[in-house]
Amino acid sequence: MKSFDVWMQAIVNGIALGWLYVLMAMGLTLMLSIMGILQLAHGEIYMMGAFLVYYLTRREIGIYPAIVVSMAAMAVLGVILERVLFRPRPGRDVALTSIVISTGLTLILSSAAVVGFGLYTKSLPPLISGSFDLFGAGVPKDRILAIGFSVVALILLYTFLKRTRLGLAMVASAQNREGSFLKGINPNHMSMAAMAIGCALAALAGALAGSILQLHPYMGSLPMINGLVTIVLGGLGSIPGAVIGGMILGLLNGILPVMFGAAAASVAPLVIVILVLLFRPKGILGHE
Amino acid sequence: MQMFFEIKNLRVRYEGAEVVKGVSLHLEEGEIVTLIGSNGAGKTTILRAVSGLKAPSAGEIWFEGTRVDGRNAQSIVKLGIVQVPQGRGLFPYMSVAENLKLGAFLRKDRRAVQKDLADVLVHFPRLKERARQQASTLSGGEQQMLAIAAAVMCRPRLLLLDEPSMGLSPLMVSEIGKIVREINATGTTVLLVEQNSRLALKLATRAYVLETGNIVVEGAADELMHSEHVRKAYLGE
Repeated sequence: MKSFDVWMQAIVNGIALGWLYVLMAMGLTLMLSIMGILQLAHGEIYMMGAFLVYYLTRREIGIYPAIVVSMAAMAVLGVILERVLFRPRPGRDVALTSIVISTGLTLILSSAAVVGFGLYTKSLPPLISGSFDLFGAGVPKDRILAIGFSVVALILLYTFLKRTRLGLAMVASAQNREGSFLKGINPNHMSMAAMAIGCALAALAGALAGSILQLHPYMGSLPMINGLVTIVLGGLGSIPGAVIGGMILGLLNGILPVMFGAAAASVAPLVIVILVLLFRPKGILGHE
Repeated sequence: MQMFFEIKNLRVRYEGAEVVKGVSLHLEEGEIVTLIGSNGAGKTTILRAVSGLKAPSAGEIWFEGTRVDGRNAQSIVKLGIVQVPQGRGLFPYMSVAENLKLGAFLRKDRRAVQKDLADVLVHFPRLKERARQQASTLSGGEQQMLAIAAAVMCRPRLLLLDEPSMGLSPLMVSEIGKIVREINATGTTVLLVEQNSRLALKLATRAYVLETGNIVVEGAADELMHSEHVRKAYLGE
């Protein structure tokens, strides 16, 4: 019998993890629906973002400014990657080439990280120390803060997509690519914006993960997969769907290891994907 | 003499096959000109080439003394050539109001855009009632109205309409016809591509008949309405 304290922590951890998946899912969704690419190296952007924060904090820069700098740097990296690797070229199948290119990019970035950062796990300074009492259980404050930052980031993204000219244009080009061309929306600008925002969100997720978990060169693969599962679960293109999907997945990832051990827990996301694809292929809130 | 809009000897290929085989046509400012022809004749392909969605393999396209073929879609819209494509080109999960605003995406004159939006909503009361609804929830006719209204929000000089009557009830078809006339009356030149030849010839001043990538007949719309060939092939008489 596990104590209440353990369950409470598992739930809070799960919710925090879930929000990281939501952040990853947002970037993947933007790139998938606007550019038509599956950016498999998104997890490596997350890892690079986290390590950049690590090296900045080692140089006596506070963790908050470091996260901002890292997000900006990854946004710039995203724009460069779009320009150099993912920009469509005539006569090439975008979806297929993006899978090949991003698989290669995954290998390059994670190998570079092994060489550059080493295989030892590292950790970031905590966002905030201490814990508070919730129904008699101790809940670490940094988890709550990480959840808070993720929620704020998502609200900002939502407002941007709903209220600004560029944001509306991005949604439009995701919903009807050719229709957006005929409105004079430049697809290359939309792709650059999608990559920049996606990579900045991945850097934020990586930094938050690095502060509540640990950093290592392969830290990106699991959130990458769970980000994809979140999309499948919630339905492509639905932000509320992604939040629900991320929460389900996060809670499973928080609670299942406590109940059945880590091995069983790692299978859960894949089982969920299979079930969703079998019984509700458009996801919880997706449209056809 | 400088033509308002002119296509010279346009050729377009799709995967090796030539779909448009040397088409020439022109529009004077303020006209409604129609391009009729059966399914697969190459009508849509011509419009795609004009809008910069498909690069021509040969030929030239001129708009007000500027050569526009080979330009990207954005710069074509900037010049004032706006297309309402087949399938309407709407953003299905965005609201009617958002679709209209996106029609004016390239315009910088915000205040005038606001005014145009208000005007359009007065002009299309049905769209006003449904301003907050998702575009995908509208009926086919309403969607076509929205598509045309969104194009008008861009203040086009030349409006390209690709089969606006497709899939609509006869009542709605005549409604769309009325709208096209009204838009033209405000000074917008219209190139109307249609399979519904009866409607097209009624609206247009001049017409071109396209068959398997070639213009086979051209002339004044009312003359074509009475030509043997057109009556047999396109008016089902």
